[in-house]
Amino acid sequence: MVNMDLSQPPFTLLDDSGRERVARGVDLLYFSRDEIVLDAGQPGEFVYIIHKGEIAELDPYAPSDRVRIAHYTAGDLFGAISILKGTSRYRFKVEQESLCYAMPKLLFEHLCDDYPTFADFFQRRLAQKTRLLAERRAKSGVNMAGFMLARVSACMRAPLIVDAATTIAAAVNRLNESHADSLLVVNNGRFGVVTKTDLLNALVMEGATQARPVVTIAHFELVSAGPDQYLFEALVQMTRHQVARVVVVERDLPVGVVELTDVLSYFSSRSYMVSLELEQADDLDALAHASERLPELVQTLMAQGIKLHFVMDLLAALNGRIVDKAYQFLIDPRYRAQSCLLVMGSEGRGEQILKTDQDNALIVADDSDWPDRAMAMQRFTETLYTLGYPPCPGNIMVSNPAWVDSESGWRRTVSRWVERRDGASLMNLAIMLDARGVAGDTRLLDRLREYLFDSCSHDELLLSYLARAALHFAAPLTLFGTLKKPRHGIDIKKGGIFPIVHGVRTLALECRINETSTLARLEALAGQGRLEVDFAADLGEALALFIELRLKQQLTQLDGRQNSDEPNLVVVQSLSSLERDLLRQALHIVKDFQQRLTHRFHLEY
Amino acid sequence: MLRSLRRAADRRRQGHGRYDWLFSPYAGDELVAIDCETTGLDTRTAELVSIAAVRIKGERVMTSGSLDLRLQPPASLHGDSIKIHRMRGIDLSDGDTLGEALEKFLDFIGNRPLLGWCIDYDLAVIDRQLRPLFDFGLPNPCVDVAGLYRREMHRTRPQLEPTMNFERVAEALNVPVMGRHTALGDATTTALMYVRLKKGALAAS
Repeated sequence: MVNMDLSQPPFTLLDDSGRERVARGVDLLYFSRDEIVLDAGQPGEFVYIIHKGEIAELDPYAPSDRVRIAHYTAGDLFGAISILKGTSRYRFKVEQESLCYAMPKLLFEHLCDDYPTFADFFQRRLAQKTRLLAERRAKSGVNMAGFMLARVSACMRAPLIVDAATTIAAAVNRLNESHADSLLVVNNGRFGVVTKTDLLNALVMEGATQARPVVTIAHFELVSAGPDQYLFEALVQMTRHQVARVVVVERDLPVGVVELTDVLSYFSSRSYMVSLELEQADDLDALAHASERLPELVQTLMAQGIKLHFVMDLLAALNGRIVDKAYQFLIDPRYRAQSCLLVMGSEGRGEQILKTDQDNALIVADDSDWPDRAMAMQRFTETLYTLGYPPCPGNIMVSNPAWVDSESGWRRTVSRWVERRDGASLMNLAIMLDARGVAGDTRLLDRLREYLFDSCSHDELLLSYLARAALHFAAPLTLFGTLKKPRHGIDIKKGGIFPIVHGVRTLALECRINETSTLARLEALAGQGRLEVDFAADLGEALALFIELRLKQQLTQLDGRQNSDEPNLVVVQSLSSLERDLLRQALHIVKDFQQRLTHRFHLEY
Repeated sequence: MLRSLRRAADRRRQGHGRYDWLFSPYAGDELVAIDCETTGLDTRTAELVSIAAVRIKGERVMTSGSLDLRLQPPASLHGDSIKIHRMRGIDLSDGDTLGEALEKFLDFIGNRPLLGWCIDYDLAVIDRQLRPLFDFGLPNPCVDVAGLYRREMHRTRPQLEPTMNFERVAEALNVPVMGRHTALGDATTTALMYVRLKKGALAAS
């Protein structure tokens, strides 16, 4: 009877009869302001589920700035841990008069006995909880509708048209050049289709020569569709005629081809399509077009609940390809071999998901001779801008001569930074540590990094200077108290992402780890025994969670649903209770990590 | 006045019967919120469709041990009231007989004070059914939450004429309306309203 919302975890882990037992077994309780629901040291008698109101979890023994542990609002559940542990560790105080459902201890224990997954929920670690969230998101299948409503024109590729005189050999060449599976032959104003299978059959089964005109093996009965038809209609057509492609016809002229693989990859994530388009791009316009589609791809991948780790890897690879291609289009091969283009910052770490500022630099071989280098680099920066990478506000770009240097010049620069150890030098060192080579001769970068490690990894003083920055922003756990201001959010970049990334970077420098992505560095650190495997995994999950939260805000911004232009501020009230719980745990891990850094690099004073 | 006279008479008659304990004064700290759905609004003809009762102990509304009874369809069950409480004849076919239901009800409420929204109406209907079968009316002391609210409003905001609509009052008291027009839902909501009034909801705001 009691209208309790049992559609949220952990109640989704019960079956109908379990939920029925919950609904029958709970009482309703009212608490007025400042009342204490459960005090520290008291035995837990009930699991409380808040229907309305706000309740704070406080640590009565902590110093006053760290008193606040958590904040619960409508839909949240608390008190379960107190029952499992026997007594409550913290004090639960009412912040705003609250109506709670109270589930008696006995019922809770019975439920835990009868439903092991329900019991597990309360003992899970952070990594497992994140998986739960991802699973739930995947189940909702957000983007199915997008597929059902997609039109043929969204998925077709330009047709490859050859004239009737083309030979089989020429046709095969054309197919290979443009990574296509089929081409259209025009013969007296009629169009026929030739597929790779047709070519194979003609050559092998019929023993045709390579000089035979391709028109003799074309099929002139086309399976066609209009560009405005729904994509699934095209799919139905293919299934009905047992072919793997349809020709898109508009006003009796073929305007495109839809391949079965395209439809399926469109359905699965479109990732294949985008990377294909990227590979096929043979001028800057085509590249720009492909790069425009990346945000959409991210959106689809996230909606399908793909683990963020893999999305980041994919995006890093795709972004790297875009920069590499742009470099290829603009720079003469001779110069390319003498230089190495680096991407740095989040892009270097492969943690940039939507496009951020361009952070790049260039190492040139000592013996290179490149007269109009500055001009070329200026043009390159401008090109990246047209591809959708905004210029770096700190001017860390190849158009800035300070970030273009010869190999020995870079070594001198690094030594100068190491000697000076002031704020700007440390920042530049940190940026350089994240550098990843995307184009040209990457051995140049490997040698420079070796040099960097040689000059830094034993310099305890430098390491502790570097590590100090990771403590600069405290984990915003105490900020939970100011949630009542509706516009106020917590800055997860300062409070979560930066401490992890920078701390891990410092440790990586100390241990001479060549990887640039934070997750890979964590793995390597755990492999070397520098961090415990569990802790490294938790840090990775925490980082993924922060990035995901930020990404979500950026995506809503792309949709124009949100006006705020600060994606790093997360308004905690707008999160679901599970996400809030995750965020809280993740921030605790950050805090723990900061304490370890303090300990390791002696930053107590 | 009339009620207390009747109660005195009932009590004499019940003297040492099965239900004499109902007439002894209550010493505990619990109350019972009741509500019933009926076939009409006229206390002289309306018949019971369902009865619900929820105990209140301090600030706790004991929904876990609540009573929710459905009765066999009475003869006067017809379209108009079905539209309100949504209990069709067929929903009630496995319900209790009137006698069984009232017996369970009496055992549940005991001699605790009763609580209801416009409780006079519920009392009148229950008493009319109770008297021929058990030969007494409900002897419990009663609190009308609607009256309580009106008095509180008058005391704290004498200049306002309070709106005495169930949903509006629930909103004013910041109480969620649970399952409106089901006996148990209304009883729970009434219980919550009472707890809120007792905790000074009006004075605080």
